[in-house]
This record gives sequence, C-alpha cells and structure tokens, in this order.
Amino acid sequence: MLVLDKLSAGYGSTQVLREVTMAVPAGSVVALLGANGAGKTTLLRTVSGLIKPMSGRVTLDGEDITGRAPHQLVARGLCHVPEGRGVFPALTVADNLLVQSPDGQTAEATELAIEAFPRLGQRLTQVAGTMSGGEQQMLALARAYVQSPSLVLLDEVSMGLAPKIVDEIFEFLERLALRGASLLLVEQYVTRALAVCDYVYLLNKGSVAFAGEPAELDAEEVFASYTGA
Amino acid sequence: MSDYLPFIVFGLVSGSVYGLSAMGLVLTYKTSGILNFGQGGVTAIAAFLYYDLTRNSVPVPIAIILVVLVFGTLSGLVLEVVARLLARTSTANRVVGTVGLLLFCQSILVVRYGGAALPFPGFLPQGGFTVSGTLIRADQVITAAIALAAAVGIFLFFRWTRLGTEMRAVVDDPDLLDMTGRSPVKVRRTAWIIGSVFASASGLLIAPTSNLDSVLLTLLVVQAFGAAAIGRFTSLPLAYAGGLVLGLLTSLAPKWAPQTTLFQGLPLAIPFLLLVVVLLVTSKSKLKEIGRSVLSAAPATSRLTLNQMLGTGIVSVVALALVPVLVGAKLIIWSQGLTYVILFLSLSLLVRLSGQVSLCHIAFQAVGAAVMTHLGDVPWLAAVLIAGLAAVPLGILVALPAVRLAGLFLAVTTLGLGILMQYLGYATNPLFGTQLGRAASRPGAFGLDGDKGYYYVLLAFVVGTAVLVLSVERSRMGRLLRGLADSPTALVTMGAGINGLRVLVFCLSAFVASVSGALLAPLFGVIDATRFGWLNSLVVLTVLVIAGRGIIVAPFIAAALIQVVPGYVYNQTFQLYLPVFFGLGALLMAVAPGISGSALVPKRPRRRAGDRAPHALPPRAHHPKLVEVP
Repeated sequence: MLVLDKLSAGYGSTQVLREVTMAVPAGSVVALLGANGAGKTTLLRTVSGLIKPMSGRVTLDGEDITGRAPHQLVARGLCHVPEGRGVFPALTVADNLLVQSPDGQTAEATELAIEAFPRLGQRLTQVAGTMSGGEQQMLALARAYVQSPSLVLLDEVSMGLAPKIVDEIFEFLERLALRGASLLLVEQYVTRALAVCDYVYLLNKGSVAFAGEPAELDAEEVFASYTGA
Repeated sequence: MSDYLPFIVFGLVSGSVYGLSAMGLVLTYKTSGILNFGQGGVTAIAAFLYYDLTRNSVPVPIAIILVVLVFGTLSGLVLEVVARLLARTSTANRVVGTVGLLLFCQSILVVRYGGAALPFPGFLPQGGFTVSGTLIRADQVITAAIALAAAVGIFLFFRWTRLGTEMRAVVDDPDLLDMTGRSPVKVRRTAWIIGSVFASASGLLIAPTSNLDSVLLTLLVVQAFGAAAIGRFTSLPLAYAGGLVLGLLTSLAPKWAPQTTLFQGLPLAIPFLLLVVVLLVTSKSKLKEIGRSVLSAAPATSRLTLNQMLGTGIVSVVALALVPVLVGAKLIIWSQGLTYVILFLSLSLLVRLSGQVSLCHIAFQAVGAAVMTHLGDVPWLAAVLIAGLAAVPLGILVALPAVRLAGLFLAVTTLGLGILMQYLGYATNPLFGTQLGRAASRPGAFGLDGDKGYYYVLLAFVVGTAVLVLSVERSRMGRLLRGLADSPTALVTMGAGINGLRVLVFCLSAFVASVSGALLAPLFGVIDATRFGWLNSLVVLTVLVIAGRGIIVAPFIAAALIQVVPGYVYNQTFQLYLPVFFGLGALLMAVAPGISGSALVPKRPRRRAGDRAPHALPPRAHHPKLVEVP
C-alpha cells in the first residue's frame, strides 16, 4: 500500500503540490485526475523519487521511502512509466529490454515482453526511436510486466495514440491489475479511467479536491476542476 | 614513398595517443554532459607520477599499474563527483570549473617539479625492424596497438555488455535509466573511470616524445578536442579515427609547409584549424551540447542608484589618482594593474553579461600590444584605436562558427585560438615577428609620456571603459543580453537575432581586450610574446571568477589579485602557488552552486503544446461552457 502524507513538492522555489494526502491500497486501481498543471505528473515524479519533496512523507507498505532514489524504489517493487515515451530512443528494442530486465534474466524478460505485446517480437533489432508511438508505448509498458512490480505509476500512457492502440493498452492494464499489481493511473480519457478504477482522486492546483469511489464523483466537480475554477 | 614513411609512422603513433585521449574525453562528455578541459591535467599528472615512482625505484610494471589503474581510477572517482556538481550549473560555469581544474593540475606540477621539461624515462622496448628503409621501433608498435586495442575494446564493450548498453542508455535519458532500476551515478562513475584510465595511459604514451613538460602534456587535451571534433564529440570510433587523422596531419604538415621558423609551431595549431573546419561544416542539429541545459541566473542590474554609483566611482578614481604620489618606484605595478582592469572589464562584459566564455583573451591583448608597436608614426590615440580594432577580425573568426552551435564550443575554439596564436600567430610579422622585442610609443604631448603622466592616461582609459561597460549593460543590448541569459527562446520568438548579438558582444570584448594590450605595450622599453602565453588566458578567467560577480567591481579586484598583490609579495613560493590557488578557487566556486543548490533551477519536464500554467485560464464566470462533461 502506497501512502502519501501531507506531501508538498515543486521545482526550484515554485511549489506545485500542497500537502497532498492519498493512499493506493494494495491490489487496487486508483485514478488520479485533474486539469493540466494540477500537479499529477509532479505527484508521480515525487513518489518515484525523481523530485525531492519539500515536506511530507511517502510510505510504501509501511516503509518510509521519502527521498529515496528512483533506482532504489525499483528494487522495492515500484515501476513508473513516465509521460511521453518511456523508452531509450537510440537503443534497439532488444537493448531496451536488456536494460529493463533484472541481471542475468534478459532472455526470460524478452519472452515476457513478447508475451505481453507480441508485436515487439518482430521488432527486436529495430531502433526504438524509429517505431510508431504505439509500439514505443508498448515497449515502455513492457517494463511494468517484466519487472513484476507491486505498484505501477502510469502517466498518460494513452496520450497521442490511435483508439485501437488505446484499447490494447487498457486491456494490458487490466491484465496487469489481475496479476495483483496496484496501479496509480493518470489519464486524459476520464471516462475510461473511471471505468477501470476502484478509487479516484481529483487534484486541483496541487491539492486534493475529491477523494472517493468513481460513482460518488460529481460530473460538475470534474468540470469545475478541469476549468480551473 | 619512403620519404613520407617515417612521418606517416610517427603520425600514426602520436595519432593513436591523441585518439586514446579523445576517446576518454568523448566517453565522459557523452555520459555526463561535462566536457572536461581538465583532462589534460590528469594526463600530465599521470606522466609525472610515473616519473616519480620509477625514480624512487618502483619496478616499471608496478609503476604502470599504479599510474594507469590506481591513479586513473581515483581521479575518475573524483571527477565524477565534480562533474555531477557541475552538471547542475550553467555552461559557462561548467567550463570555468574544468578550466580551473586544468590550471590547478598544471600549476601544482610546476610547483612540485619546476617549469622546465624533465627527461622522461622510456619504459617500452626500443628495438625494432626496418620497412623500406624506415626503422619502426617496438615502442611505436606497442603504443599504436594499445590505442587500437582500447578502441576495439570500448566498441565491443558498448555493443555487447550490459554496462555498455546502460552507458548508451544514460546518454539517451538518465532519468529513465534511474526509473528502470539502474543508478545513473554508478554508470557515469564507470565512464569517468574508463575515461581517466585512458587519459592517464595517454600521458605515459605521449611523454616519451614530449618529455615531462607540464604545458605540453596538458596540451594533449587540445589534440583530443581536435580529434573528438571529427567524431562530433559523440562518436568514439570516429574520435579514434580523428586522432589518427590529426596525428598524420600534424606529422606531415611541417613537411608540406614552407621550411621557415615561422611554421615550426604549425603542428600545435592544427587541432584548432581542424576544430574550426568541423564547426563550420557541421549542421546545428548534428552538434548539440549534451547535458541538461541550465540557465544561469540573469545578471542583476546594480542595486546602487545612479548617484551612489557616481559617488563610489568618484571616490575610487580619486583614490587611484593619488597612487602615483604614494607608491614611488612601484608605480609600474599599478600602471600594469590599470591595463589589466581594462582587460578584466572586457572579460567581465563577456562572461557576466552575455554568459559566454573566452579562453583566449590574452591573445587579443597580445594582438593589441603587437600592433601598437608597429604604429609609432600614427597619432597616438588613433594608434590605440587601430590596435584595438586589429583583434576584431580574430574575434569574428573564432565567434562566428562557434556561437551558431553552443556556448561550449565557443570555449573550445577560443582555447584553440589562444594556442594557435602562441605557437604560430605571435611570430608573424604583423605581430611580434621574430625580433626579440619591439617598442611601442606613449602619447607625446603634455608630458604624458612620463611614468606618472602615462599612469593618468591609463586611468582615463579605465574610467572610459567602465563607463562603456556600464552603458552597454544599461543599453538595449544589455537588456537583450539579460534576456538571453533568462530565456533565449523568448528572445528568439520576439524576433531578436541572438547569434548576431552574441558575435557583437564577443567582438566588442575582443576590441576592449586588444586596447588593453595597446596600452600595456608602451609601459615597457620593449615588449615580446613571452608574457602572452595561452595558459594566461585561463588564469585571467579563473581570477575574474574568484573576484566576484560585480560587472564593474570584480575587474578591479581581479587586477589587484593578479598584478598588484604579486608585485608587493617577494616570496617566490607565493608567486608559484598563485595559479594553484586561482585554479582551485575557480573550481570550488564553480562547483559550489551544485553543492548548495542555490543556483539550482531544475527545468520542469517538457510540457506539451497546449499545456497551460495553473492559473492561466480566466475564472469560470467569464468562460462559457464549451464542452460536455463526461
């Protein structure tokens, strides 16, 4: 279970997150919604250790992980698929999978990745940056499968992709959840996110504006948050 | 053919060493974003360390292991930390930091071993075989083989090992590597260790031909720049090949060039020529500066009001005007100090106001001084002006190809130019020629040619230059330059041509530096090229950085540090240690913001088009409902 306790963070002297308190229970899917600039990406980056928080605490399964480096958190079972394309564009698909895989398990990892996204199997020798956006996103998501994390942070993984690919990706996310991983999902397709999640948090200007089950969420509230009122 | 064979062999052997050194440079630059000017220092220290070890009867194999592996690894560990701290600061600051490191290493060697070259004990077997009349020595074969093995080894390492793949990944996206579960710091540390081992090994391999001369050994980094430029500072195999090409050119050029003393320095000038050609022909998209771009904080305008500034200025000028009455025979020191104030003002204009770095300002000063000695028949003021303008074409030559690309490459080319001028330019006839010394004249009228009179002439020029710098700072150009430091993108979208601006300020700075030289020359009976060595350009930059951030005040402090203080302290050791302090001081000041985080302004992750700042939208009441809420 991931718990954020009064977490504040930002860039330089600009504060973005203001005392955010939230929880991602084990095995659950949590959607994190909010307008552009609400602080969703900053929240994910702070949890995964890319940004040092200004104050507050992050705990994972009871252990304080505040301020730990990202690679240490990977060992603790955390996987962050970043905004944009989370691949090394100059490396081949096989090399990307090599870097993703635990030491000495490259062959197994490659098999797993191809099992998750068969299309990657035909692309192993291709340089990742030359693949289509959907294929790149599949490669990035393969990490969430290969590393068997207990918690996956997903930052707008459907962004800029064809609807058909988005379907495929959401199917993958459901499979990921079925394997027992908890997901913290930042999504622009609000309806799709609400359809798959157990809980939803709404961020507005860096603070939690709503927390609860998707059914309780008032459409008016979402709109108000998205238009910055 | 057999005429050329000895030169080709020699060229390939020295080129192998250049290639080895260049691979170390490129590897560390690619992975960390820090182009290490200080690598020359590592090279030089390695060679001297070997000399010391073997003199203290450490067996040769153990000495080699100690120098290449142990010293190489240790310096790699230190450099990784330095690079990590520098990576959080601006480009200009990164250059200052590693230049400080270079100066520190070089001057500490001078303190320890003296400035004169020492014979280097060869350690490779000397026997050999003959190919069509040319003796090829075993040590040459071994040297070339080591470099080739390193080139092939590093290529295979990148292709086939996990760590090598991770190193390519860290070049691509360090944050993503971190998220994937590997510490970028650890991967970079390995790169720095490999790079430093290469640098140390190249020191041992080049020393038999260069002897233990701390300046020449340090210069190996410039050869590495030239070789790395062929690989666009990113390709390791091409950097190695570039080393070989550079070696061949360096070795064959004297054979093709006219057999005059003038061209003796040609080999040392070739890296710069190669660099300029590469920078000229490479398209901007192919040669970008690696590493997170961090903008330096825009230089603040002075907090003093105009009246306060005027008051401070008048008090300072009156104090300086009293100097001739007070210091007696020391006046010459103070006069030199004033010319250096002008030099530092020109550098301050460039570094503080436009965020660019020059590593050849002493060369501009030399041009002014040399041209001044030719203008005895011209009215004095006009002569100073002409001497000042003489450096402008050089400024254009060096700034034009480089500013188009990035500030980092300007620093690299200026370093090259400084070296070209010392080894090739100064001895040409428009400058100092081959005479031992040349005289320059002082203004003839009103008794200004006396030492006291001339001091006041210099003071007037200092005041004039300070006013010039201040007015540039407050002019439209100054505001554009501040805008450039703040956000180049914003400036471009406003329609301002930033490259022209950069070249303009660089040329203005070169002009003022050259004027300082023109004023310096008549201080002495005769003047020659010896005081304008390329390392001095590095010294003045570090001193300016140590002197503080004030655009006007720092040049006065810097001139006092470098000219007046040493003139009053007779202690030989103090004089020797000065550049050590300057280098170390600049290095520490450059890494300091990385430690404290005060100047650390991390860039926000790239935003998508259409992203808005949190409060950018008007309140809802003014915003009609346009979309259906799901």
